[in-house]
Amino acid sequence: MKDYSIETFGLTKIFNGLPAVEDLTLKVRKGEVVGLLGPNGAGKTTTVRMLCCLLKPTSGKAFVVGHEVGKDSLEIRERIGLLPEVPGLYGELSALRNLEFHARLHGMPKEKARKRAEELLRIFGLWKRREDPVATFSKGMQQKIALARAMIHEPEVLFLDEPTSALDPEAARMVRDLILELRKEKRTILLCTHNLHEAEELCDGVAILNHRMLAFGPPRELERTFGKKEVEIQVEGMSRRMVEALRKIEGVRSLRKEGNRWLVEVENPEKTNPEIVEVLVKMGGRVKYVKPISGGLEEVYLKLVRSDEV
Amino acid sequence: MESARKHKYVLYGFIGIPLIFALLVPLTTLYPVLRGETPSENELPPFAPPGMEPKQALVAGLVDTTILMFMFLPSFIPSVIASYTFVGEKVNRQLEPLLATPLTDLELLLGKVLGAFLPSLFVTWGSFLLFVLVVDLLTFPLFGHLLLPNPLSTVVLLVYCPLVSLLSISWSVLISSRVSDVRASMQLGGVAILPVLAFYFLCMGGILPLGKLALAGFGVLLASAASGLFLLGKRTFRREEILTRWK
Repeated sequence: MKDYSIETFGLTKIFNGLPAVEDLTLKVRKGEVVGLLGPNGAGKTTTVRMLCCLLKPTSGKAFVVGHEVGKDSLEIRERIGLLPEVPGLYGELSALRNLEFHARLHGMPKEKARKRAEELLRIFGLWKRREDPVATFSKGMQQKIALARAMIHEPEVLFLDEPTSALDPEAARMVRDLILELRKEKRTILLCTHNLHEAEELCDGVAILNHRMLAFGPPRELERTFGKKEVEIQVEGMSRRMVEALRKIEGVRSLRKEGNRWLVEVENPEKTNPEIVEVLVKMGGRVKYVKPISGGLEEVYLKLVRSDEV
Repeated sequence: MESARKHKYVLYGFIGIPLIFALLVPLTTLYPVLRGETPSENELPPFAPPGMEPKQALVAGLVDTTILMFMFLPSFIPSVIASYTFVGEKVNRQLEPLLATPLTDLELLLGKVLGAFLPSLFVTWGSFLLFVLVVDLLTFPLFGHLLLPNPLSTVVLLVYCPLVSLLSISWSVLISSRVSDVRASMQLGGVAILPVLAFYFLCMGGILPLGKLALAGFGVLLASAASGLFLLGKRTFRREEILTRWK
């Protein structure tokens, strides 16, 4: 248990008879960044709220930084930071005041709160605007303040709920870079996001939810396990006989043409690719290239979510 | 509190109305009576205390009923602040980051209650101090001694006003779980003034003589209502309730 910052065992939350989260079992190691992916209403925010001790689980158990959710709520909330979906900053207050106030709520002495707020504002490039009301900040800047607020007390675990949603590309890039910096500092981060490219870029592991866990693992591993395994081949002199011969190779699932290239879906590329090349060469084809194609995490996500909904 | 102060409606409530109570009310009620002719005993209103010269009785009665009006301040001011701190924070989604801090539900609620309770009391007491100055200046020539402060004012300011404030805030907590508009919350918050209004008009009309029995009864009613509503409000101010049931 000590190696894991977050552990859940059959975590379930039911609202009015409807399961928002069902039987979720998840482990996040210290220093890992794990993404929670899923459609709207999949239970991502509910999961985060349970782990932050804002909602009581209906059943199951969860442990955050070694403390049990529902029993050691205060100890957990002392050690976590939350960036909710809506930042919820006090618009009339200055950036500095927002951070100091939150630091004081975490029991930091006044002087330490001030120093830490200054440190974060400087890191985020907002020190010059420290006395400006937060309502005058752009969305990206407000998100930075909200992220600073989540980090002000140096939590062991950060929960970030849709940190780049509704941000323009530049602001979103800024926030992602900040998360990458936090990842270098080996902070444990649980990140809820709809953005699959973001998950691929930032996360060591990804959990795909649709009220229950559909898959969990590093993005590349999920792609290998659940993704379509296709190879693109370009052959000079491709004939109908060659196409028929390729279809008969064991392990070839399908074959289709796209433009001047052929896409072959296979079960095991490492086993089947040499056979494909051998057949084509024997039949007189000139193989220009054989290239593996990955649909990426998007393909995995869509496949799992769609098959779950059926 | 700091955030609520930056809204001009909050400031109007803080400054304007207490000044009206402290200055305008005594000047418009007492001054004409003091300058006017002495009324006969038959012409005295029901709230005028017995055993005094008619003019003195009329002035003393007016002063006592105006003291009762000071209970309006701690029922109005907290609802203005509480509307911004509860409903405003709910609407602007500012509560969730607060809920993720290591404060207990009770600490959060007490913090917000105190944020409305203390300013309302300070403003009420400050306004009353000014009222005392104005009344004593106006009435000293008639009575030959300082009329205020008197036992009634002590009970009203130190016992009833805090209870009324707590009643108003507790009512605001309950409203804020169902209302999503700050101004609607302020208007509904005005319902907390009803017990005070009822007591005031019963005394003004002479239906309830303003004596120890009436004051004790009203005190018990206020204390019961305030504590009951506070406990109800405490039940609704829980993290899960706020996130899932507060509309």
